[in-house]
Amino acid sequence: MSTLQSLNRSPFLLGFLFNHEQVRNMSRVKRRNTHPGYWLPLKNVQKKDDKISADNLRFVREVIQDKYKNKSPLKGSELQIEKTEWDPKTKRSGVIARNIGRQQMWDKDGNKIVCTVLHVLDNHVIRYIPPEEYVKTSRGAIHFKNKTPLGCLVVGAEATNPEKFTRQYCNLFSEVGLLPKKTLSRFIITPNAALPPCTPITAGHFLVGQAVDVYGKTVDHGFQGVVKRWGFKGGPASHGATKFHRRGGTIGTGRDKARVWPGTKMPGHMGSERRYNRGLMIMRINMKYNVIYVKGTVPGATNSIVRIFDTLLPLRKLKEAPPHPTYFPPEDGTQKEEDIWDSSLHVYGSPSISV
Amino acid sequence: MKNIFYVGLAQSFFKRNAASLSESAVTQHPIETSKEAGEKSGSKQKNGDESGNTVVVAPPEFRFMYPEFLPDPTMERRNKLKEKLERMDMLQRRSIIEIPEFYTGSIMAVTVADSNSPNKFACFVGICIQRGGSGLQAWFILRNVVDRQGVEILYEMYCPLIQKIEVLRLERRLDESLLYLRDALPEYSTFPFEMEAERRLNNSVVPINPIKVKLRPRPWLERWERQNLQGVENLNLPQRYYDRAKEVAKPWEKYDLMLQYRKTIPAEEQEKIYAEVHSQLQQQDLKRKIKRRRGPSSEQ
Repeated sequence: MSTLQSLNRSPFLLGFLFNHEQVRNMSRVKRRNTHPGYWLPLKNVQKKDDKISADNLRFVREVIQDKYKNKSPLKGSELQIEKTEWDPKTKRSGVIARNIGRQQMWDKDGNKIVCTVLHVLDNHVIRYIPPEEYVKTSRGAIHFKNKTPLGCLVVGAEATNPEKFTRQYCNLFSEVGLLPKKTLSRFIITPNAALPPCTPITAGHFLVGQAVDVYGKTVDHGFQGVVKRWGFKGGPASHGATKFHRRGGTIGTGRDKARVWPGTKMPGHMGSERRYNRGLMIMRINMKYNVIYVKGTVPGATNSIVRIFDTLLPLRKLKEAPPHPTYFPPEDGTQKEEDIWDSSLHVYGSPSISV
Repeated sequence: MKNIFYVGLAQSFFKRNAASLSESAVTQHPIETSKEAGEKSGSKQKNGDESGNTVVVAPPEFRFMYPEFLPDPTMERRNKLKEKLERMDMLQRRSIIEIPEFYTGSIMAVTVADSNSPNKFACFVGICIQRGGSGLQAWFILRNVVDRQGVEILYEMYCPLIQKIEVLRLERRLDESLLYLRDALPEYSTFPFEMEAERRLNNSVVPINPIKVKLRPRPWLERWERQNLQGVENLNLPQRYYDRAKEVAKPWEKYDLMLQYRKTIPAEEQEKIYAEVHSQLQQQDLKRKIKRRRGPSSEQ
């Protein structure tokens, strides 16, 4: 998922560099495949053992409870984090969140702003893979070919019942003392942003007013026709048009090449693609509920999982230091504000706007 | 300034000014609307649960007074945390401005901050013809006829530009949506801008105005004969219109339980939602009442 790869595939760049009569590039790109992504862990679902007796099941549950009883989120002082400085070239960890819907807010001039509400789930760091090790992995080798290698942080979210997963999968987490997580994600980071295992990452990881990139899987539209999928105009609705209202029309000339070119736009599966929405500004953070309000929309349907990280867009990158390597609530009890709003927004509890 | 005449108003409607108006006279109406659940008591009802602790339950009329607290019923888009956060924001806004109880058919006056107005505030009076949206997106449309031109304005209830929402006359009509006023004679949508708030005689029941509106001759904006409107006079159309309406009608929809289920929030969830916001809304209401009582007395 490097930015350069996705930029290479952008229709804007290709259309600029190559002079085709018809821009077929997005349709030539192989957009989806049926095999699961390399980063997805192997089948970890535990088969249900129906032969287990009720007593044994109760015993298993007691064992699980005992094993995970004494785990509590670590505080900043308990973790051995080296004091590292943030610089503009640092790549921090990202966060796994769920898109829980859209809410509108108003700015101080009375203009409406539609924000997407992202609920930062219970993220915990599972493992840090230093650059030397990560380069040796198959994925790392491809990623950092001809580049300086960076480290990889494995973060998990959504703790669930260990009964649902296989022993091997649960062991990934019990080594660090965590309940197994439903979602895992890798974030490419510079070594100075490394975090030890079991570190919680919350909504405070980001700053209000900073720009973020949100990565998710777009809404699945299923098998769609050419009008919705590619924006074709179809045919006339009346005036004698026989069975030609939403069809594609011609798919090639007779002369040149005498075949249908690869990449010709036709009906097919639409959506369910992994995309980034870049440069979205954070308008509001609610520290109590771990919720981030991001201006604009995010790929995917409501209640789907997304990944959020600091933007790569050069003009919107962070200029001042964010919570580095991540945010820890102050231990002397002086909590940061619960609900932090951007300065341009109208806070709901404040008096009505008078122009 | 403008001539007010309400053509065809029923006698019972004028009777409300008489001191002798009793509750029974208003509620005995030949309408099936079960919304006459707007019974008494704005007070808390405390039901004890099994363990003997009191459980606070909001009064049942809350779902008519505050319908925008209920979320959009589309299951794919629902999320409890987001709805809870939205409700908190709505209560915050309601602590600043009073968003009163109103229904389609109520006449309201809205004051909005407007940079283009001479005194920076624009006021509009009109009848509420439709309301919708849930959460912070809740809106209503006010209609009036100004200088023989019909004007409709959509207001978002929680927009911070709104300075004041006042209900001049709180009443209901026989239909949930009064969009047919666009095809009705203009006198049914005309209300003077200087209209003052009318005091309600009977606070516990919202009167239903049984007026039957006269429509202009066709063409209309919609096929009103297909919509089972209660609040319009006999349309006097040729029989073929009614025949075609019958062919096109979907009489089975009133038996479709799943359709109704998908369009509404279940009763148990509604109770939970209103129980959550109930105490704050009551507190805000109380504060405003105290302020109102103190207001005129402090002027003396």
